Amino acid sequence: MTTRQSRIFAVAATALSALLFMVLTVDSHRQFQELTQSQNLTPEIIHGKDVWHKYNCINCHTLFGEGAYYAPDLTKITQHRGEAYLQAYMRDPSNFYDEQKHRRLMPTQDLSEKEITDLILFLDWVANIDNQGWPPRPILVTGGFAATAASAATGDRDAAPPGTTPVGDDDDSRAKGQYLFNTAVPSCSACHSTQPGADMAGPTMAGLVARTEELLASGDYQGEATDVAGYIRESIVTPSAHVVPGAMYSAGGTSFMPNTYRDSLSEEQIDNLVDYLMTLK
Amino acid sequence: MRYKSQSVAYWYFAVAMVLFGLQLVFGLLSAAKYLGPDPLLYILPFDVTKVIHTNLLIVWVLCGFMGGTYWLIPDESRSELHSTKLAYIQLVLWTIMGVTAIIGYLFRYGTGNKLLEQPLPHKIVIVICMLIFLYNIGMTIRKSGRFTTTEGVLLLGLLSSAVLFLPALLHYENYTVSIYYRWWTIHLWVEGVWMMIMGAFLAYLLIRLSGADREVMEKWLYVIVGLVFIAGILGTAHHYYWVGVPAYWLPLGGFFSALEPAALVGMAMMAYGAIRRSGLAHPNALALHWTVGSALFAMFGAGLLGLAHTFPSINKWTHGTLITAMHGHAAFYGAYAMIILAMISYALPQMCPSRPDKGTSLGYWAFWMQMAGMFGMTLSFATAGIGQVYLERVMGMGYLDAQLKIQVHFLMLIATASLFATGVGLYIYDFFRFRPVFDQAVEPAAPGADPADNREPVRGSV
Ligand code: HEC
Ligand code: HEC
Ligand code: HEM
Ligand code: HEM
Ligand SMILES: [Fe+2]
Repeated sequence: MTTRQSRIFAVAATALSALLFMVLTVDSHRQFQELTQSQNLTPEIIHGKDVWHKYNCINCHTLFGEGAYYAPDLTKITQHRGEAYLQAYMRDPSNFYDEQKHRRLMPTQDLSEKEITDLILFLDWVANIDNQGWPPRPILVTGGFAATAASAATGDRDAAPPGTTPVGDDDDSRAKGQYLFNTAVPSCSACHSTQPGADMAGPTMAGLVARTEELLASGDYQGEATDVAGYIRESIVTPSAHVVPGAMYSAGGTSFMPNTYRDSLSEEQIDNLVDYLMTLK
Repeated sequence: MRYKSQSVAYWYFAVAMVLFGLQLVFGLLSAAKYLGPDPLLYILPFDVTKVIHTNLLIVWVLCGFMGGTYWLIPDESRSELHSTKLAYIQLVLWTIMGVTAIIGYLFRYGTGNKLLEQPLPHKIVIVICMLIFLYNIGMTIRKSGRFTTTEGVLLLGLLSSAVLFLPALLHYENYTVSIYYRWWTIHLWVEGVWMMIMGAFLAYLLIRLSGADREVMEKWLYVIVGLVFIAGILGTAHHYYWVGVPAYWLPLGGFFSALEPAALVGMAMMAYGAIRRSGLAHPNALALHWTVGSALFAMFGAGLLGLAHTFPSINKWTHGTLITAMHGHAAFYGAYAMIILAMISYALPQMCPSRPDKGTSLGYWAFWMQMAGMFGMTLSFATAGIGQVYLERVMGMGYLDAQLKIQVHFLMLIATASLFATGVGLYIYDFFRFRPVFDQAVEPAAPGADPADNREPVRGSV
């Protein structure tokens, strides 16, 4: 190759690639609206984005997998945590996590109430962007191996997540319930473990039946259930009917457990879950 | 040093050295926080140490590029710089910009946008500095009437760096769109136009150090530029996989970014070929270590370790983990830190007459300790990252619990980083050990040692 030829190669390669890149950029802009639902971008969400930038969250966390690796990815966080939980968490993370245990803690960020509200709206907008189903499995903040669930988005779902056994239609109701526990959206296992003593964002499910029996007998119970199965059902359908005490579980009588299962799960699925949880004496 | 005005380069290098040292202090602080608990949680939390770490990196690397260019241009164009005064004004502005930005970060004054955290006033100063710089270099070349291919590639790289910075000045309402354009700056810098700067420095150093034939080197340079852009421009797509852009970016990113290592292999071959064919024609063997080392380490850190996670099917699992940090360190260090250290090692004996031409033994210690240290850091990030991907992403263990399981790799990171930092400390000490003398033009060690000057240059036009 002569110098002249190599120069032509350099110029032509650059020009062609740049041209194609420009064309694709224009086309991407045509699709951004649909992919990101930018028609939903309210002033509050845009303010929430500014809050995200203002407090430098990106230099501890990742969002869309971009940022720093000191703290968990938050792309789908609103699918794992309800609004009430996030509100309370942002006010004071140290109520929720113990620095001695995890050797890391998010410092309190001193956001105003308005900033917190808009920030959560922004994170929820992010969680609903069509981003090719990433992450392929939910990225959880805490939890051991059992806490595995399938993606909320449409990743490849053919294979059941590790730690779960796929179920068929005529399997036992309890087996279906166990599968749902790991795969519902958001997954119960993102907040509940089944190991004794391992409380996460929600209390452990180990010993649930025994402690519920005690609760029902004690007179401290505020809800409407009359037996253990009824209590579990109520916990899933209307989490705030009775709340387990603890600043990290509820605020002002509102449970941090999402109240969306009433709509997102079918009657039968809720039955499966109750049957499964009834096995956790 | 042939031209008196080349002495401005010394001060650019000096600033770069100080900031490099400071960068590592904040790197070590950040790494210590991985281990936790953090006694400085409310004084100097991780986000602050990390933003300072990466911003000091950008500021000192660009400062090194500018110093290197001020050194290279008089040599190539055989003329004094257009204005040393402008060059000093630019350096002062740049340093003030860098230092005030860092102080601002201590108080969370910044844009909170990864790697582009500089507040708008600072970004504007950056642009002003770049304009002064390009004007000064452009005028020098114009007045001299001598414009080599190396200079052409270098200048185009610098000019495009300035242009690609412009999208970073805008404000975007849609977070996905803002990510889209963030990569125009970050990716097209490190995997596009900065490679031109690296290629030009490499060609310059190889011509001077090994006596390689200029015509051959410049032909290589064109091929490398072609390869960089064929792959690099559309390779931007490897950052677009999961951020809310159309699906066609996935196969495009996989295909074109997989071609990116070709340019890095090209640079390594250029270095290897030059040494093999022409041997060593200059006493400064230490500078040659850095030059060849840079080409090889870049091939490893950027080419190989970049390739390792660039396909969508793998990136899906590794995206945004310590695997990215592994690659970021090895690539940045090999490609950009080392080429600047090479340029400094080459220029320094010509500015400090009492310094031995072949390099001091301290200089060799610095080289090998940095090599070993950075290799160890890369391994530590890699093992930590593999653990993280497996436990957190594949098995579904919670983030905090997975991080607890990989603590031992953080200990390894701190140990190897300390070795690395010692090597850098030696380099900086060695830099300031000999006084520079600028009042007389110091001839290069052996007369005729710069074979490049004995040959008629190819009058390049780019
Ligand atoms: C100094 C680093 C740091 C900064 C800055 C930071 N975080 Fe965090 N964040 C953490 C850590 C560490 C965790 C893990 C839980 C814990 O230790 O509190 C976390 C957890 C979270 C969680 C998940 C809590 C859960 O239980 O689900 C959310 C949501 C969150 N952060 C939001 C934010 C937002 C929003 C910002 C910016 C306003 C921010 N963080 C800034 C370190 C940080
Ligand atoms: C965002 C975290 C979160 C998710 C997801 C979640 N929960 Fe909860 N859950 C909580 C919290 C917090 C409490 C305690 C406060 C309360 O009583 O509502 C709780 C309480 C409960 C209780 C009562 C426990 C007791 O000791 O009395 C049950 C039963 C329960 N959850 C079941 C489920 C099931 C089944 C799912 C999945 C369909 C689920 N949870 C998903 C947070 C969560
Ligand atoms: C003493 C040596 C060093 C230590 C201990 C260190 C440590 C760190 C740490 C802990 C991070 C944060 C990663 C995260 O987001 O969680 C980081 C980021 C980074 N460092 Fe260093 N570093 C060192 C030297 C260097 C050098 C020499 C370079 C470049 C030449 C460099 C370039 C970077 C880059 C580019 C990032 C951002 C990476 C990314 O986001 O993927 N560091 N470093
Ligand atoms: C000198 C050249 C290079 C440098 C300095 C460099 C540096 C970096 C840095 C700092 C990041 C993190 C960026 C961020 O998250 O903000 C990154 C990401 C990445 N780089 Fe490079 N890189 C180089 C070359 C390459 C090459 C040649 C490839 C592919 C073959 C590559 C593939 C990637 C990929 C896939 C990511 C995204 C990682 C993720 O998904 O989290 N890089 N690079
Ligand atoms: Fe890239």
